[in-house]
Amino acid sequence: MSLVEHAPLAAADERLRAFLEQSLALWQVTGTVQLAAAPVVAEIRAGSGASVWVERAGDDTPFRWFVRWRREGDAPGGVREVRPRACSSLVGLLAAVRDGLGVERGSALRVAPAPEPVLS
Amino acid sequence: MIPVSVITGFLGSGKTTLLARLMRDPAMGRTAVIINEFGEIALDHDLIETSEESFVQLSNGCLCCNVRSDLTATLADLAARREQGTVPPFERVVIETSGLADPAPILHALMTDRDLCGSYALDAVIATADAVVGIDALDHHEESRRQAAVADRIVITKSDLAEARTEALKNRLAVMNPGARITEGAYGTMSPALLFGCGFYDVTGKHPDVGVWLNHESLHAPYGHEHAHAPHTHTPSITSFCIVREQPLHAVTLPLLLSALAENCGTDLLRVKGIVHVRESPNRPAVIHGVQHVYHAPAWLPCWPSEDKRTRMVFIGRNLRESWVRALIELLDEEVGAVGASHV
Repeated sequence: MSLVEHAPLAAADERLRAFLEQSLALWQVTGTVQLAAAPVVAEIRAGSGASVWVERAGDDTPFRWFVRWRREGDAPGGVREVRPRACSSLVGLLAAVRDGLGVERGSALRVAPAPEPVLS
Repeated sequence: MIPVSVITGFLGSGKTTLLARLMRDPAMGRTAVIINEFGEIALDHDLIETSEESFVQLSNGCLCCNVRSDLTATLADLAARREQGTVPPFERVVIETSGLADPAPILHALMTDRDLCGSYALDAVIATADAVVGIDALDHHEESRRQAAVADRIVITKSDLAEARTEALKNRLAVMNPGARITEGAYGTMSPALLFGCGFYDVTGKHPDVGVWLNHESLHAPYGHEHAHAPHTHTPSITSFCIVREQPLHAVTLPLLLSALAENCGTDLLRVKGIVHVRESPNRPAVIHGVQHVYHAPAWLPCWPSEDKRTRMVFIGRNLRESWVRALIELLDEEVGAVGASHV
């Protein structure tokens, strides 16, 4: 089933929440991932106090999700809470959630040239 | 292209003994040797027999910490002198790291440094592991775990000693790094053919033996179902697992997967290697190879190396989560498939 089109949206959102929960564990962030009022499909509350909200984007946009967040210590209504980041892919979504949680995890992919002679 | 092999291993695990024995083999005649010794009095180089011109001793610090300056300059200088004919025309380079070195920065330099990529290609990482105290080293020293985790070949040394715990160590290493071939080499006895020429990029231009490179036996699994080997976590914090997948992946999934791994796992991902069945290229599988966040551009084999046309990938890292990687692959491939379908 496709997360995007073929699966019922509720099931796809449930899979997304499960994946985000695993991502928190991977990033060694304590917290919870829950369903919240539409259009939020995942509300992440970290032990640090940061909150991240993932919204499913409408069909009339080229994006898949919008992500808003409030970091630990931020006052409600901050810029990232009112101006969401648009994500068109899962990779982008993970990056936005990491930003929202203040997780400095990895490095940008670096692709090295294949040595010559490359396989013929 | 000159193949470069890296011999690593924890303090006292027999790297120099192995290298000294290897260098006596006629097959190693045209080999340049770089030894990194950490300490005020360097001794290891005295134990290696090789021509002075093609021997370099780096004793001004740990190679992995000074890799950008020392190693790249040394290799570039060697290549230049070889070109000028002021050193013998060596056909291979072997780098022996210090016992506390993290091999990853050295591999990164070999894979990405602009000055080196035109002349050298990474062949293999060979790790030595001491049959007597190797398990203790794995238990207590992160350096030892990282060295074993990134190796293509692991040589168990001192297995002839009475107190050797060879089988226990072998089992430990096999679950920790299923992509490595493990052999015994008491007194450093080992044929060069068993250790060298096992990198993915065959500098002779021949097709590489992908089965050997991936240590195919460790990935062997019955046909007919998708599965992942159970993650192995016997060694503290280092996890390894193999993902075997029947369904081909979309081509675009591959760079997305590598990006996501690099961005989300960081230095915790020690090594990834695999052969991938790409939907758009059913007869030419892609080969992926990465160390932490640095990957070679996926290379395309001319054909499948065996009847087994499944995607097979080995992941080794610290606190890696196999279920997360599996879910990531599934979700990314679905995303790419759905985007493609929407454009038809």
